[in-house]
Amino acid sequence: MLPMNLGAQDLAVHLDGDYLRVSLPHIDFLQGKPLDRLKDGASVAFLGQLTITLTPTSLNPIARSVGRFALSYDIWEERFSVTKIGQTPDSRRSASHLSAQATENWCLDNLGIDRSQLPADKQFYVNLDLRVEDARDQLGIIGDPGINLTRLIEIFGRPSRGAQPRWLKSSGPFRLDDLRKTEIKGTRG
Amino acid sequence: MPVFLLWVLRNTRKTGRVAVQCEATFAESSSIRWWRGTAPFALLLSTAVSLAAGQGFMRQVAETNINQRYMIESVSLGGIELDRMETSKLPITLRDRLKALIGQKCDMAALENLSSEIRRELHFRTVTEHLLKGSTPEQVKVDFDLVRGDTSFDVSVPRVLYTSQEKVTGELDANVGFHQNNLTFGVVSNGDDLIERFTGVAARFDSAPLGPGKVHAGLKFEDYHEQWNAATVAVADGTGLDLYRSRWSVAPQLTFAVAGPVTISVGASFEQMESQSSTIGSQSANAATLDVDYGRKIESATVQQRIEGKYSLRVATRALGSTYAYARHMILFKYEARSGRNVASDEFIGGAIAGQAPLFDRFVLGSSSTLRGWDRFEIAPLGGSRVVHNELTYGYRVGEGTVEAFYDAGALWQSGGEALLRHSFGFGYKQGIFVLATGFPIREGRMEPVFMAGMNY
Repeated sequence: MLPMNLGAQDLAVHLDGDYLRVSLPHIDFLQGKPLDRLKDGASVAFLGQLTITLTPTSLNPIARSVGRFALSYDIWEERFSVTKIGQTPDSRRSASHLSAQATENWCLDNLGIDRSQLPADKQFYVNLDLRVEDARDQLGIIGDPGINLTRLIEIFGRPSRGAQPRWLKSSGPFRLDDLRKTEIKGTRG
Repeated sequence: MPVFLLWVLRNTRKTGRVAVQCEATFAESSSIRWWRGTAPFALLLSTAVSLAAGQGFMRQVAETNINQRYMIESVSLGGIELDRMETSKLPITLRDRLKALIGQKCDMAALENLSSEIRRELHFRTVTEHLLKGSTPEQVKVDFDLVRGDTSFDVSVPRVLYTSQEKVTGELDANVGFHQNNLTFGVVSNGDDLIERFTGVAARFDSAPLGPGKVHAGLKFEDYHEQWNAATVAVADGTGLDLYRSRWSVAPQLTFAVAGPVTISVGASFEQMESQSSTIGSQSANAATLDVDYGRKIESATVQQRIEGKYSLRVATRALGSTYAYARHMILFKYEARSGRNVASDEFIGGAIAGQAPLFDRFVLGSSSTLRGWDRFEIAPLGGSRVVHNELTYGYRVGEGTVEAFYDAGALWQSGGEALLRHSFGFGYKQGIFVLATGFPIREGRMEPVFMAGMNY
């Protein structure tokens, strides 16, 4: 999977109440094929992950926040809608009538890490990983005729999986005490 | 009393195999072993669970689509509206399902499933659903974008079943589609449907619609090797029933869509059996066949009902060169009602054989769908020539799946013999095509449950 270049822009990290959150002025992940699918009226799922590591290259995060976002595009209103899928239907959060930029920001705002999970006395790095989950990958495998092995092999053996967009960005080092504090947007991560 | 179900992978010292075991633990000290299976089953189960979970997530994603609030105004395939499509270009059942979308809310999960179905049935390389603005706000048009491939090729596992009694039953199919024709080659090992376990190959050809689109031709070929249970072997002697070692068959069939929900299939089945005994040699069961199928859905705002009926007849006659001469009748009736999270169904089967049929055509109870929990070889190790069975199921939807409780009652007997009604009950969990269930036979003495895990069973 080839990560998309997010340019030289910095991942802005701030504290929002009890949560560490990130923002990017021009993340622009709503583009290309996922955007085409959305404008055809389909749903597109994004997987977002925010991790905290002690070194820039560490593979073992000390804290993590994962969010699965379901996006769709209103054919008539020409605005986006987004839902963060939770473990239960009650834990879902949604927003609608959004522009592309507002939708992207909403996803980032909903990837928060509880400040109690951040090291109080050490420097740390913040890493953002966003990728598209292809609904068609899984919907074609299981159906009334059973498990379609051709689709399964096609998906696992697909060399062009890199064509699935992925966005990566790291920033740091930060210290907890130095983080900018903003107004409280919410109490959940 | 806390109960924990544990899946334990163990390397059994006696057999050297890796086994998976499900234990119900009461408190922390005592446990009851429910059943034990082998590692391939653990792999099947974990694959099924992860695929079902992924499927469930994608369904949730589709369900959040903002366009679901709009009404579907029209449906088209490749830009051609359904009403303007030639009848022969689209199977009737698929056309009916697409037509039924019009006037309904735009269910994206249903549209995605239909895209897969169109791709599979019409052999397109890809099918993608597109929404377009309708003629008035609050309405959308659905267009399935079609990318043609001359042929399609799929390898699939259509059915898998594990039971703690009969072990694994499964099928692997390779399907080639061309111009709405279908050719399927499969390998099968089935210890569930008949009194024997049959293992071998099967091939099936299903034609594109012939003429005005209401007739289909089919041809089926099967070649199986049989394995007999010790209980069957012990009682077969002197009954005149031959425990053949292999059998093959060729069955041509024509299917007519008569009127709406009714289809009628007529055909023939030429079955050849090779006996284990050299004195008996080859025997045949050549029959004329008739199947009448009925299926109807009745949907209201609060209740969705489904009614299915089937009558099948096989008449083996010496006029067709058959060694066996018999007539086998079977009827099935199923009613299902869904309302909110509740689903209830009742399925009745009844059958009778006049004359002496070979073992593969005799009736069986104690399978994954009849008298669940019973051992078929205890009920009738040679099957029976008369059967009645009723299955009553209640399910309650929980999250992505359905928790079910069932009650089975049935009798299997010989013509002129005494019918003994048996009962069983059980519970299970169904998610999509996957099912886990445990059946308990109602009987005096020790009640040993049968665990079942399967796909499309």
